[in-house]
Amino acid sequence: MPSLLYSLSVYFGFWAAQHKLGAVLPVLGSNRSVGEAYLSSSTMNKQLQQIIHIPPNPPVSPTSQPTKKVYASLIEPKHANTVIRRLNQIAPLQNLQHLKRIHKKQIQGGKPELFVILCLASENETQSNPMPSDVEDVVNSYNLTPFITEVCKHVALSKKEWEEQCKLWPTSYHPPTYNIHGITGFNEEDSKSVFSFMKSTIELAKSGDHLSFSAALIVDPLAGQIIASACDDVCSWHMGTNEAKTKTCHFKQSEGFTSGADANRIARDTTLLSNGLSDNLQKCDTTVSCLNPWQFSQQSLDTSPCYCHPLRHAAIVAIEASAARDRHLFPCSGHSEKLYEVDSTHSSPSGSPEKRQRVTLENVKNGGEQDANTKSSDSLARPYLCTGYDIYLVWEPCTMCAMALVHQRIRRLFYVLPNPEAGALGSVHRLQGEKSLNHHYAVFRVVLPELEFPAER
Amino acid sequence: MESDNLAYMELAIHQAKLAMESLEVPVGCVFIMDGNVIASGRNRTTETRNATRHAEMEAIDILLEKWQRDGLSKAVVAKNFSQCVLYVTCEPCIMCAAALSFLGIKEVYYGCANEKFGGCGSILSLHSSFSEPFISDEIPQRKGFKCTGGLMASEAVSLFRSFYEQGNPNAPKPHRPLVQEKAER
Repeated sequence: MPSLLYSLSVYFGFWAAQHKLGAVLPVLGSNRSVGEAYLSSSTMNKQLQQIIHIPPNPPVSPTSQPTKKVYASLIEPKHANTVIRRLNQIAPLQNLQHLKRIHKKQIQGGKPELFVILCLASENETQSNPMPSDVEDVVNSYNLTPFITEVCKHVALSKKEWEEQCKLWPTSYHPPTYNIHGITGFNEEDSKSVFSFMKSTIELAKSGDHLSFSAALIVDPLAGQIIASACDDVCSWHMGTNEAKTKTCHFKQSEGFTSGADANRIARDTTLLSNGLSDNLQKCDTTVSCLNPWQFSQQSLDTSPCYCHPLRHAAIVAIEASAARDRHLFPCSGHSEKLYEVDSTHSSPSGSPEKRQRVTLENVKNGGEQDANTKSSDSLARPYLCTGYDIYLVWEPCTMCAMALVHQRIRRLFYVLPNPEAGALGSVHRLQGEKSLNHHYAVFRVVLPELEFPAER
Repeated sequence: MESDNLAYMELAIHQAKLAMESLEVPVGCVFIMDGNVIASGRNRTTETRNATRHAEMEAIDILLEKWQRDGLSKAVVAKNFSQCVLYVTCEPCIMCAAALSFLGIKEVYYGCANEKFGGCGSILSLHSSFSEPFISDEIPQRKGFKCTGGLMASEAVSLFRSFYEQGNPNAPKPHRPLVQEKAER
């Protein structure tokens, strides 16, 4: 299946471009992330290691921004001030305040020419609506020659958009300040932690069936603790077992993973994939379940026994592991606790601290796993499902996984590689922007220098 | 045929009632192949503390385990799914609709629409196959399935209603910060 080959070659194209262009971020289909979406980076690799917010609203391509038609005209520079003042009175550019009224065009070898926006024009090609009479007066008294041209309709949201806008007609641009659902960017410490967990995720992806380069890590960011981790557990004709690769709470975070040597190995492997050099590696690409989830239903020739589960994508298995952990740590807080919640409107009979899930989190933070087991579950914070937790994924998740994480109430999702054909967080669908859902997580793409173009070595 | 449909949906409703008896959100389903019920499932999210354990996922797991025990090949399992019809009391959510499309299921009948999470027309339309203008090897082929809603919808809705009226004891609270929670009470 060439799907991954295709994807990887695309990525490497971008990595190459990124490498050459320094701070310019990769742009991929609708999953565009321009430089201004840049939130944070370590000081070490300011231009390489980045956390990019993938917003709920689909960004438009900078080159295809919606436009609006206006009447414009060449104007004598000496009349410019008077005319603009007059036009601002009689034909203000309502809701188009980002537009500059005047456009200075440098003509080769000649004097610059000034153009002015007179007023809005009809959007309908066939119907030519006349200009308002007082604009008409201005046109006549200054011998203007009106023509219809296009300008950008909306304020630029990024520098890149702004640069494109100015090719049509100059606009003003103010870089945004970030406040994403209460997550106001990442400070140095936070981003360090994000990169560290993401590197652990990549380590994990390699540690499993190294042919299926996919993994998920659920993390409690406040405690800095891994809640659950998993690799893809779907079928593979390379594997003779279907044993779950979940390692709840036992996965050691490798702080020392900075050498880049291992990462270079990944890069090399994936380069092999993209070049299609190795038969063996070529066969394995479909094992990244989120990339081509339909693969299972299309194998009409595979007669090997089915010891597999086509839906056990890494994120699904990780959710299962976190649920198992919860049942293990809080065995008796099932229905009784829930009933207690209902009762709490009348009185609070037992241990009200239990309800304050975040207040008692310090216990977990300081005590860690050992403590959690020895203490009675009553005194422990127990978040509802994965509320407050983050998930780290190698790939942008497919629709099933993305929605599963909505159900399980994940707070933030970080991924490294976009999934252009099946991704549900910007590529094909954009669940983080589906207003009807009862929960939304913030989505970030993590750009790692380790997954840079291999020539970097 | 119509009476068959109703009979199968009755079985799904029965599953939903079992869910409700266990204080789970009342959704149930059955898988039909060649006119036979081959698996049934009900919502089990509270018991498992895993919000992805919807009725469909439960039934799919039962099927996969069964077929694996029977030593069926992947090709046969894939073929079986392509002959399965699902009856579920509520429109499959986005997650389940995606899963059903991944498995290449033949057809789905559902009761009431799922206006918050529905993946078969309400929010996304994952059941409708995206026929690309040309099929390229490089693009994964998405699978759709036939989907019909509104089968015994009122029964499904009344189950939901009685469940929430009894004050959903499994309500996912507290899932907001403490301050807001106080304000709510």
